[in-house]
Amino acid sequence: MKFRLPTRIDWRTPDLPIAQDDTTRFLPWLMAFMVFLAALSIAGMFVLADAARTLDRGIENTITIQVPAGENQRADEERIAGAIAMLKQMPGVAGADVLPRERVVQLLEPWLGSAARSTEIPLPWVIDVQVERANAPKAEMISALLTPYITGVQVDDHGVWLRSLLRAVHSVEWIAIIIVILIAVATAATVVFTTRAGMALHRDTIEVMHFVGAHDAYIARQFAIRASMLGFKGSLIGVALAGPALLLLTMLMGNLGFGLLPQIHLSVGVWLAIATLIPVAAAVAMVTTRATVMKSLARMV
Amino acid sequence: MNDVVRFESVGLRYGLGPEVLQDVSFSLDSGSFHFLVGASGAGKSSLLRLMYLAQRPSRGYISLFGRDISTTPRHELPGLRRKIGVVFQEFRLLPHLSAFDNVALPLRVVKARESEVKRHVEELLAWVGLKDHMKARPSTLSGGQQQRVAIARAVIAKPKLLLADEPTGNVDDHIAGRLMHLFGELNKLGTSVVIATHNEALVRSSGKRVLKLADGEVRILENIADDDADEFDSVFAADRGRVLL
Repeated sequence: MKFRLPTRIDWRTPDLPIAQDDTTRFLPWLMAFMVFLAALSIAGMFVLADAARTLDRGIENTITIQVPAGENQRADEERIAGAIAMLKQMPGVAGADVLPRERVVQLLEPWLGSAARSTEIPLPWVIDVQVERANAPKAEMISALLTPYITGVQVDDHGVWLRSLLRAVHSVEWIAIIIVILIAVATAATVVFTTRAGMALHRDTIEVMHFVGAHDAYIARQFAIRASMLGFKGSLIGVALAGPALLLLTMLMGNLGFGLLPQIHLSVGVWLAIATLIPVAAAVAMVTTRATVMKSLARMV
Repeated sequence: MNDVVRFESVGLRYGLGPEVLQDVSFSLDSGSFHFLVGASGAGKSSLLRLMYLAQRPSRGYISLFGRDISTTPRHELPGLRRKIGVVFQEFRLLPHLSAFDNVALPLRVVKARESEVKRHVEELLAWVGLKDHMKARPSTLSGGQQQRVAIARAVIAKPKLLLADEPTGNVDDHIAGRLMHLFGELNKLGTSVVIATHNEALVRSSGKRVLKLADGEVRILENIADDDADEFDSVFAADRGRVLL
């Protein structure tokens, strides 16, 4: 009798009745839940990374100078022009421009409402200074330069608080990564316990398979194929639930219209990363199951 | 060395219990045919378990096909097991598989071509009189039919050693004769056969050698019709006495 080497996965009815197991009944739903959480975490990671990039760009060239309005607008304009000229001479300054009055009004409107447009309220002048990141002058240096010429000048280095915010965003990003890792570990642990329960249930059948000459790998393959199919099914459900949930979240965040919160932008990259969870979860289930079965079988005679 | 099985001072105990086998020593030649007899509880099943590698001995040396099983790496055990066909007393058929798939199992674990699996399994099931029950699950078969499926599974891969625990216990005389004929044919092809049985008539009519298991020890009876007649009788005398009581 000629035998051939295995060249493909054997998809025919398995020798082990794993498909009828009660032990695996809830595995797809557990996997779905885990993948759902992982999908949300991954989307969160992408959004935070996006926010971090935006903040990082903000750190590059943003120093804002507030000059209190004087009684004479023409005199104010002359002082501002002088200050801009001085700033442009300063090492590390790439440019300096006075913010148009309309823009200042727009910035104050969320806090002052229509009163921001009132001529009764003296609006400060705002100078936007673009600095070179590598050689940026400190806020104190700018303040020291301008104070002798302009009283009450306020220099606001965005970098200081943006850097703190950036650190916080990076921390949250790491937390999201840790959550994804924990989800993977919890998923693997669930698969391990389910597999062990299944093995205990089919101990007699496994023994008979050993007696007829089955290798451990032959037995493990049957458990692993089943686990990967359940993992695939579960992760498909998880991703299918995560998609609408993320779209809803995007819509709700968009409706808030509050500038400080990062906008959720679900790019193609985010969707691809979430879709990758399907084969990854199936692979985790398959590899974990195979390892569990092989380890347990090694303890048998 | 032409031994298929060699036991030297083998002892076996389960857990902390007493030794069920003590200093068992014997060897079986390639192509030999033995009946294994002994009173109920003498340790026949334990001896068979050691021979089909379901159990490790507590002490002593066992070799199968010239391989010392205590030094054989675990991943090589399936290779040894494929040379052994086993008919279990309780059949141990896989209940979720059909008769065909149960018999096909030893071929499928070695990735035999499905066309060959089909040809061999159908031929063998027809031979044991189960041509019309190929798709039947074990639970729908009678005890005798299940036993024939178990025997077909044990011999399908043409093992070098066939171990059978009461293989004729649930079948009528006609089928028992056919099964013994099958075992005899396999034996002629070089398969060593060990059959554990309580069937005194079967052993007497065969004229084969006997492995007598008593008090945890094994003795080989070469000629039960003559020199070893008394010793052979003593095995069944105890059972006869039990029946009379």
